[in-house]
Amino acid sequence: MKPGDGSSAPAVDVQSLYPFLYAQESNVDSVIEQVRSSTVDKAMEIIELRTRVLDREGPRLLECAAAMAERFAARGRLLAFGNGGSATDAQDLASLFLSPAGGGGPLPAFGLTNDIAVITALCNDIGFEVVFARQIAAFGRAGDIAVGLSTSGNSANLLRAFDEAARRGLFTVGIAGYDGGRMAELDSIDYLFVVPSPSVHRIQEAQTTLYHALWELTLLALGDAAERVDR
Amino acid sequence: MTRTSRPGGVDVVGELSHRRTAPLTDLAEHAEDVALTCHAMARRFHRGGKLVVFGNGGPSTDAQHVAVEFVHPVIVGKRALPAISLTSDVATLTGVANRVGLAEAFAHQIQFLGEPADIALGLSTDGQCRNVLRGLRQARDLGLLTVALVGGDGGQIAADRAADHVLVARSTDPRVVKEVHVTMYHVLWELVHVFFEQPGALDPGMVT
Repeated sequence: MKPGDGSSAPAVDVQSLYPFLYAQESNVDSVIEQVRSSTVDKAMEIIELRTRVLDREGPRLLECAAAMAERFAARGRLLAFGNGGSATDAQDLASLFLSPAGGGGPLPAFGLTNDIAVITALCNDIGFEVVFARQIAAFGRAGDIAVGLSTSGNSANLLRAFDEAARRGLFTVGIAGYDGGRMAELDSIDYLFVVPSPSVHRIQEAQTTLYHALWELTLLALGDAAERVDR
Repeated sequence: MTRTSRPGGVDVVGELSHRRTAPLTDLAEHAEDVALTCHAMARRFHRGGKLVVFGNGGPSTDAQHVAVEFVHPVIVGKRALPAISLTSDVATLTGVANRVGLAEAFAHQIQFLGEPADIALGLSTDGQCRNVLRGLRQARDLGLLTVALVGGDGGQIAADRAADHVLVARSTDPRVVKEVHVTMYHVLWELVHVFFEQPGALDPGMVT
């Protein structure tokens, strides 16, 4: 059949007439295939990273959760903070303790990035490095728990916040990525959990698991303590 | 007994880790759905659309996370893309909730802030959130591309095919659903950009 014979012409003939159109189509298909295969790689990467981090940090997660449970049992509260995507994690973490979906006893927790008036006032009047430290100074108490999240481990406002929290007798927990950055050099962090990955996205995904694990293990520890009292 | 066992010999951390594997394997099996979602989203951005994101509770923070991911890319050299979270304006959220009801909180904002070229992305852990469903319906009526990230069995959002693209995190644990959603939207962000880098991949002509 020749080109122009009508609508029944097989695609291959049209393709020979308009090769550039088909080059484009196969390009789209190949990009979609590339994106599909990249999605599979990323899913496999986070499975491996998460398993490795939980295997390595399991015993310390249990210790840290037991210490957090002790603070909550003694009327301590949790204060969570971070920047950017980690700010949303801090808000998620605070809300997870305060208002957990799917059951679990509510515990007092504050997200230090929720009040945009406080954040912009401190930024405007002093500087971004004090936005968390000043809030901890204003309402943190000895016996509270401070949790800071940073993928780089280098955020200046987190470093200041941990120092302020430790000075006031708060129990401090850091969640960082890569090699822990400057957070790894602080002596003001009681428990530092580091996610070693070259990808900022995989780091964040595994950090989410770390704070979910801390929440779940803290509730378990509180349940164990309640059982001991009952006996 | 391992070092992560509690009284009674249960390896809680091991179990916690194990619970997280199958939903990601399932995501890998549905990677083509993710790729098609990226392509559709890239074409909307190419047309000048913005991304509008919404959810309740924990997913409200994911909505903000998605918005910042697109507006302020963490990887140097990627272009900033317009995105807003409908969970950040507490005045409007509580105002609409108080006057009309929480079910209208997102639909109201979409009605007045949404434009036909936009993308509406709703997150719902169990797929049952009424206001997310209402938001997606409002968005579809206005001609927006609709995307839903849901969990469990997909709930009513998946059953009603309330979005053009529905990605399901197959877990009943809200924490695990959230973690899979984070991977999903990280991948959506990163791979939307792949289509920008391929000339011809965004032209509507050859693909439906």
